[in-house]
Amino acid sequence: MSTELHPFAGRVREFITRTTSLPVSPELHAEFESLALELHHLQQRHNPVVRDGNADRPKGGQTQLLTEVAAIPTAAFKEFEVTCIPESERTREFHSSGTTGQRPSRHFHHGDSLELYDTAAWAGFQRRWPDLRPPEIFGSLTPSADLAPHSSLVHMFELWAARLKIRSSLFWGENGPDGWTVPTQRVVESISALQNPILLVGTAFNFVHLLDDLEHRGCRLPLPAGSWVVETGGYKGRSRNVPREDLHQAIATRLGVLPIRIITEYGMSELSSQAYSTVTANGQPSARLQFPPWARARIVSPESGREVDIGEVGLVQILDLANVWSAFAIQTEDLARRQEDGFELVGRALRAEPRGCSLQSAGPI
Amino acid sequence: MHLPNLFLADLPPDAPMGPALVRDACLAVKRNRSHWLALRKTQELVELLAFNAERWLTPDFGFRQQALKQGPAETGFGAGTLARGLDAFFRAVTVESLNALLTQELGDARRLDEFSAPAGELRQGRMALARGPDLLVHVAAGNLPSSTLSSLLLGILTRSAQFVKLPRNGTVVPRLFAHSLADLEPKLGSCLELATWSGGTHDLEAALLSEADCVTVQGTDETVDSLRTRCPRTCRLLAYGHRLSFGFVSADQLSTYMARKVASRAAADITAWNQMGCLSPHVIYVEEHGATNPEGFADLLAQCLEEREQNEPRGEIPVETAAHLASRRSLHELRGARHAAAHSEAATMPRGAFFDAPLGGTRVWASTHSTAWTVVYESDPRFQTSCLNRFIYVKPCRDVADVLRQAEVVRGQVSTVGIATTESRLPELALQLAHWGVPRICPLGRMQEPPIGWRHDGRPALADLITWTDLETA
Repeated sequence: MSTELHPFAGRVREFITRTTSLPVSPELHAEFESLALELHHLQQRHNPVVRDGNADRPKGGQTQLLTEVAAIPTAAFKEFEVTCIPESERTREFHSSGTTGQRPSRHFHHGDSLELYDTAAWAGFQRRWPDLRPPEIFGSLTPSADLAPHSSLVHMFELWAARLKIRSSLFWGENGPDGWTVPTQRVVESISALQNPILLVGTAFNFVHLLDDLEHRGCRLPLPAGSWVVETGGYKGRSRNVPREDLHQAIATRLGVLPIRIITEYGMSELSSQAYSTVTANGQPSARLQFPPWARARIVSPESGREVDIGEVGLVQILDLANVWSAFAIQTEDLARRQEDGFELVGRALRAEPRGCSLQSAGPI
Repeated sequence: MHLPNLFLADLPPDAPMGPALVRDACLAVKRNRSHWLALRKTQELVELLAFNAERWLTPDFGFRQQALKQGPAETGFGAGTLARGLDAFFRAVTVESLNALLTQELGDARRLDEFSAPAGELRQGRMALARGPDLLVHVAAGNLPSSTLSSLLLGILTRSAQFVKLPRNGTVVPRLFAHSLADLEPKLGSCLELATWSGGTHDLEAALLSEADCVTVQGTDETVDSLRTRCPRTCRLLAYGHRLSFGFVSADQLSTYMARKVASRAAADITAWNQMGCLSPHVIYVEEHGATNPEGFADLLAQCLEEREQNEPRGEIPVETAAHLASRRSLHELRGARHAAAHSEAATMPRGAFFDAPLGGTRVWASTHSTAWTVVYESDPRFQTSCLNRFIYVKPCRDVADVLRQAEVVRGQVSTVGIATTESRLPELALQLAHWGVPRICPLGRMQEPPIGWRHDGRPALADLITWTDLETA
């Protein structure tokens, strides 16, 4: 079974490494599509959920068109085991950090898939920051992987710190009854003592907690010049929803970081690759997100299922070659506006019916 | 048609609105009421309301035409759906039905005019006079215009001055209705005020609540709770919170001949107001062991919804709502495919002749290239709330007692159960539902056609507005 996937993963790894710093081109698109279709056929053989999800497609899933591939909804990761990895070979599980009380999404991994994850995540980081001078300090508002073993985000942060060879990395976050909390006092003390630039990372709700606390205390916490901030979106009901622009403005004001050095990362436990916010042609920070050449976002109309025109809003569907051992085509519940070369998040699928009416799970089959 | 600026809601959206303006408007309608409306006779008002309703049923009535022209863009309902909903409402408003309502609620149709009594009370040496609130305020819900029109109608019967606070996306039809009344009788128009402002504009609401004698509120539980805390003690609050409904089909209605007719009736209920009302079904429970099984019924229902879509399309919905519908659909489709695969691996018996369907589990029927309608059959009998906009669950059950066990999670929040059954079974079914707490039971197909006298959430809507004066003569 895995005898087919292992060499394919090697080819994906080669593609990632080769294209890390390359600009997108029609040739890269074509290579991506060819690999994606091959992966699709492989996954139909090895992942029962992908096989069943494509059973009623034209040509029974033997399509030669990426547009005919059935994307697996992220909600399916809560109910089913969306994986090619047999139970006995699984060594790690990443969970989504949804509302407590509901079963989270589960994305299963083993040594090989994690290696591919790490390759994709690190290449993505390098692509975004090709000329980064590694900062002295790495600080995360999230807990460490010891305290959050199922968080793909924390795993990625620890990967960055390791690959950047940053000797001093701090994970301040703690686990609370309602999820992660930020111990502001300790963060303030650590950062106030800094002389050299820091790469400060966290979820959007981490930053909201920190900024609200700082406002409450009436103080600022300026980071040393040359610092970077990466926020990974996601409020998940843990804090008030702050529009991206306002969040970045608050970070700029209270943490003294130039807007151009505040980056949004977009990823999820169901993926292995990440998208990052970009910079406009004249050097201004932009909310436009881009995936690297081994992943692609398609913005699809919820009505027709087809890709929307540029400028229109639709559901974000992601094709991620690094998801070799799970499902490479994922359907999210995020809404975005399609742009010339990327997409901009505008919200989430919204229920019209009253709250508190979650979908009953039929349970795994 | 150009509407004159009779009401605050007629003004441009950026017109300044302040608490003083709201207070003045309240005083004005109260004053106009005391000079005219308070002195009217009940029958005069009954005839006026019935006559106006008749006008609204005629296709070339200017206000109706305007409602069907401007309403869709604001409400999101297609013109056909809007017309059907308005017709259902106005058809129920006749001289007979209004008098029946008055007798039902007050014991005697003269009670608002004079001390009077039905025979039983008279024998006890008692009479009574019914008085409505001086100023009746309505905080209207966003989804269906018919509930706002109903509130206005009842307030006219009780001779109250009325102030309706409309939601931003629900002004067109209520305004046209109020204008049609003013067109018929300007003095009646002067006793009504309609205004709109964003929810949570507390100073405007405080001004309104301080003048009101009685407030009706329809909306989410949060809206109701918020208003409850801000309503002065001297003001009576009638609250109608979140409710949902479902359908039930008994096995004896599932012959090949009957099943399709019943499915058509269910489709009527699902498409009325695009399923967005409290009276709209989220689930149709179908008894097992009928000649058509529940999954077969779901198939018929899908055919009926497709036909309805051709004649009365659902229309466009906001992209984030369509996105939620599409997400739910794809999850159910995947569940269905998983279940089908699991069963085909295990299956040893031949398929039935009628349709080659998976044995139980989940199955989805859906409009193609749109989210216009969706049927999800689930063998899991647990009650499931729908995401609405013509998205219906069909589930099997052994009997009504089984349904009530599965629906325990929504007990106390149910408004209507639409039933398809035989005349002989109906009393026993109705009793079971009533004891469980269902306030309204009606034939499947009529869920969104409540009569004017229906008891809203089990309460007498007109009588709840009344303050009585008892006169004991013996």
